Amino acid sequence: MKIALNSIMVDDQSKALAFYTDVLGFVKQHDIPVGEYRWITVVSPEAPDGAALSLEPNANPAGRTFQEALFAQKIPATAFEVADVDAEFRRLRARGVVFTREPMQAGPARIAVFADTCGNLIQIYQPPR
Amino acid sequence: MTERTDHPTSFVRLCAARERLRERGERVPLAHIAREARLSTGELIRRFAALFGETPHQYRLRERLDRAKRLLATSERSVTQVCMDVGFSSVGSFSAWFARRVGRAPSTYRRDAKPLVAEPPSSPASLEPGCLSVFAGALSHPDYYAKSGARNFREALSATSRQSAEPSVMETT
Repeated sequence: MKIALNSIMVDDQSKALAFYTDVLGFVKQHDIPVGEYRWITVVSPEAPDGAALSLEPNANPAGRTFQEALFAQKIPATAFEVADVDAEFRRLRARGVVFTREPMQAGPARIAVFADTCGNLIQIYQPPR
Repeated sequence: MTERTDHPTSFVRLCAARERLRERGERVPLAHIAREARLSTGELIRRFAALFGETPHQYRLRERLDRAKRLLATSERSVTQVCMDVGFSSVGSFSAWFARRVGRAPSTYRRDAKPLVAEPPSSPASLEPGCLSVFAGALSHPDYYAKSGARNFREALSATSRQSAEPSVMETT
């Protein structure tokens, strides 16, 4: 058993695909129309054979309530690993990304948190060297 | 953008503004919500868009559309009643607005969406979380949906389970 796919709920799939590829730099893996929505996955160019992330429509009203509450409580929906949190912070902020937590030391790891413009907060972390 | 955006007060106020927009729909002028957030209207629009990826106006429209879709899919209210519920006074303009955004008329949307939110049948297959098994098929054969003719998740799911018993659609195409 292995984890090859994880998903994140997004309020608008087109907007999400643009943000996760054009801004974050992930690569589109699948984009398949399924009825009103699409099955979209992205992967990291640093690990194209690694786990994929599916950008799922948050069409369930209960899910949206949960997502908005989580956001307001500043709880990240997921986390991505980066080599250098401070460099990513500078790169992303220059592209207009809003950070709700600027880089800080959290025990042995360094972390920051930003809004993905699709209803989620995302944590980036730099593992201890 | 190079301003500091991690200021806690600003974040809390913007989340509260979104909550107000959601609760009060079209009724409260944006200037009023901006005043509550202690921001100018322009500032509210700019900061809201940077954080949430859409302007307050776009958020309100999406909220309104979601409400209309939810009522059409899950309630017994007529299209006219739904039109009134979401603040339109003319069914014609509601239908045109809805069709422009969803790609289908409200009545067509209701017809398509009802089976998806109906009580699930009691067969064991329908109790499984279907999406991943369906998409596992789609991933290995992207035009699977077109060839299987499935109109919704349930049909695609039963098509997927048929494949395990019958010669595979995907292998023969």
